[in-house]
Amino acid sequence: MLQAITYRLTHRPLQIWLISLSITFVIGLIAMVIVLFQGLQVTHLSDRVPWGLWITLDLSAIALGAGAFTFSAAVYIFRIRSLEILVRPAVFIGFLGYTSAMLVLAMDIGRPDRFWHPLVYWNVHSVLWEVTWCVVLYSMVLMLEVLGVLGESRLGKRWERLRRLGHLAHRMTPFLAILGMGLSLLHQSSLGATYGVLSGRAIWYKPSMPIMFIISAIAGGMSLTMLATMIVGRLRHQRYLPPSVCIGVTKAIGFITLGYLYIKIWDWAVTNYYSHNPDMANMLERLNVTTPYSATFWGIEVVLSGLAPALILLLPNLCERRDLAMLALAAIVFGVIVNRWNVTLSGLVAPPAWSPGVLGNPVAVSYAPSLVELLVTLGILSYALLGFTLGVRYLDLYPRHVRHAADD
Amino acid sequence: MSNPVPPSEADHASQGTSAKPLLSRRDVLKIGVATLTVTAISQLVISGPFSAESVQGLQREDDHIADGTKYQWHMVIDLSRCIGCQYCVWACQATNDVPDEDMRWNVVFPEQTEVGVSFYMNRPCQHCQEAPCVRVCPVGATWVRSDGIVMMDYDRCIGCRYCQVACPYDVRRFNWRTVTEPNPYAPNWGSPEVPRRPRGVVEKCTFCVHRIDRGLEQGLTPGVDRAATPACVVACPVNARIFGNILDEESPVSRYLREHDTFRLREEWGTQPKVHYVRPTGNQG
Repeated sequence: MLQAITYRLTHRPLQIWLISLSITFVIGLIAMVIVLFQGLQVTHLSDRVPWGLWITLDLSAIALGAGAFTFSAAVYIFRIRSLEILVRPAVFIGFLGYTSAMLVLAMDIGRPDRFWHPLVYWNVHSVLWEVTWCVVLYSMVLMLEVLGVLGESRLGKRWERLRRLGHLAHRMTPFLAILGMGLSLLHQSSLGATYGVLSGRAIWYKPSMPIMFIISAIAGGMSLTMLATMIVGRLRHQRYLPPSVCIGVTKAIGFITLGYLYIKIWDWAVTNYYSHNPDMANMLERLNVTTPYSATFWGIEVVLSGLAPALILLLPNLCERRDLAMLALAAIVFGVIVNRWNVTLSGLVAPPAWSPGVLGNPVAVSYAPSLVELLVTLGILSYALLGFTLGVRYLDLYPRHVRHAADD
Repeated sequence: MSNPVPPSEADHASQGTSAKPLLSRRDVLKIGVATLTVTAISQLVISGPFSAESVQGLQREDDHIADGTKYQWHMVIDLSRCIGCQYCVWACQATNDVPDEDMRWNVVFPEQTEVGVSFYMNRPCQHCQEAPCVRVCPVGATWVRSDGIVMMDYDRCIGCRYCQVACPYDVRRFNWRTVTEPNPYAPNWGSPEVPRRPRGVVEKCTFCVHRIDRGLEQGLTPGVDRAATPACVVACPVNARIFGNILDEESPVSRYLREHDTFRLREEWGTQPKVHYVRPTGNQG
């Protein structure tokens, strides 16, 4: 009896994986219900730090979903046909990312019942209004693109109507790719501008914010799509990417990451090294007293998740060393998340000094997410992983069998 | 399901040959563009930038009372007079029904200047003319009224808290919970004159706009007549707060501004606050 159970558990890893994810997803759902009933008092957010873990998750999910528009544009606008195999997983990951983001936003706003207000009550001067519109419209684009995927999957073979709808959606693909690229270039950047436009918070207030956000999103989104593809390939003993495609994409990510670092370093040099902004210096000083901000900025964002993976991804024979490639891609994905956390918290934890006396008395506010915040985050991550696993299994995101002439 | 020849097969075959597809790519593009255009235009007219509301620059129903050509409300806080008694804080909490100490709209706390002069810092909402909070609100739930008061619409606010992130003066308070406890400052320091706000929305100092509007309707002068003046100004025992219309040269606030050197908090941010401060001298209380 016991032997039978242990045999099952050790020989059916997919079942264990799905069951554990379902459990954490249900735990997350319970936490979400608690948030809806109790309100945001169950978080450790405060009037000084009103944005925290959930905004980080929201920003990361959207940034890492950028693979969808990047690969769609590459294939359907720039006609790089060899990347077509990456479009379906990219679009599906994007869909999971954007639905995760909207789910966590519904938790994070104080009045989820008024989620539709930005669509009806307009403030065109608000960068967040523009973000909301773009995210809503782009989610519709992603839904149509996923509909195309559904129609071509085994579900489409079962339900004729789905197949026809999918076919219709698929026919709009070039139009969707153009629309998706436009919307993404807008809101991926404006999410950075959300911080960049705030004149009172010196550490954020700079025009480089939107540019750094879009570039890091493209690198992170491409990395996540590649990483997911390589993980699935490893588990199924398949090589979905011909070596030339693998090398091309990893090289592209490497160069994009280097470009991002170039802008990031100059952004730092201009605002911190070659000039002196008293507010920024003061905020940084206070941040470094209570948080590992500079350590994570240089150690993780710049070196471990920036320069190191970028150089690895530019190695000539990288795609023969898949573990190293996956490690580098994972590092870039991790770096995007750390960056979104650092950006969000840095401007809040060291609030601007407005009182004539505060300048001489540095203060910093502390924030660490509450259990409910962590559980909701866990639930949403489980949703995304569960969705991806089921998608791979039932929606034919990847072809069943592939064989490349130059491979194996 | 059990059809010997499923319809999908037949369809697929016909599409593969010469039969016309349901919709051509061009048709789909046309429909897409047309739908977007119609949606965009209708939205622009209904509630967007071309609606009556937006053309007037985010103005609202009650703006007929707030005639910006006649009234511009400003406050002076004389830090050399303030004795830190907290009366203004409590009067505000009673009048605006803010029982939670962490949610005070108006705060007074001991502070020292960089050269060591002790004083009590006061901070209500600064009512910035170029308010960062107003610019960022995704639903236009907060706006600068024509008479300069930064207003809040609790029915429109979605509680995203971007305004709190944007406000560099830390004046905005979020309703993290439903505040149910009785107000410890009423009736000793005043009676609640506005309804309590629900959970999930942001609130802040309003310059007691309800007093100003009601006072003007009754022919009173805000800043002079107590019933038409913000509660904090009325409660101050040492007249450290002066309020009024700067378009009226004889108003108390205009005279005070003429006769004293004042500064505003962090003017280099370009926020143009309507709260002015007189420097502390260290001689008070």
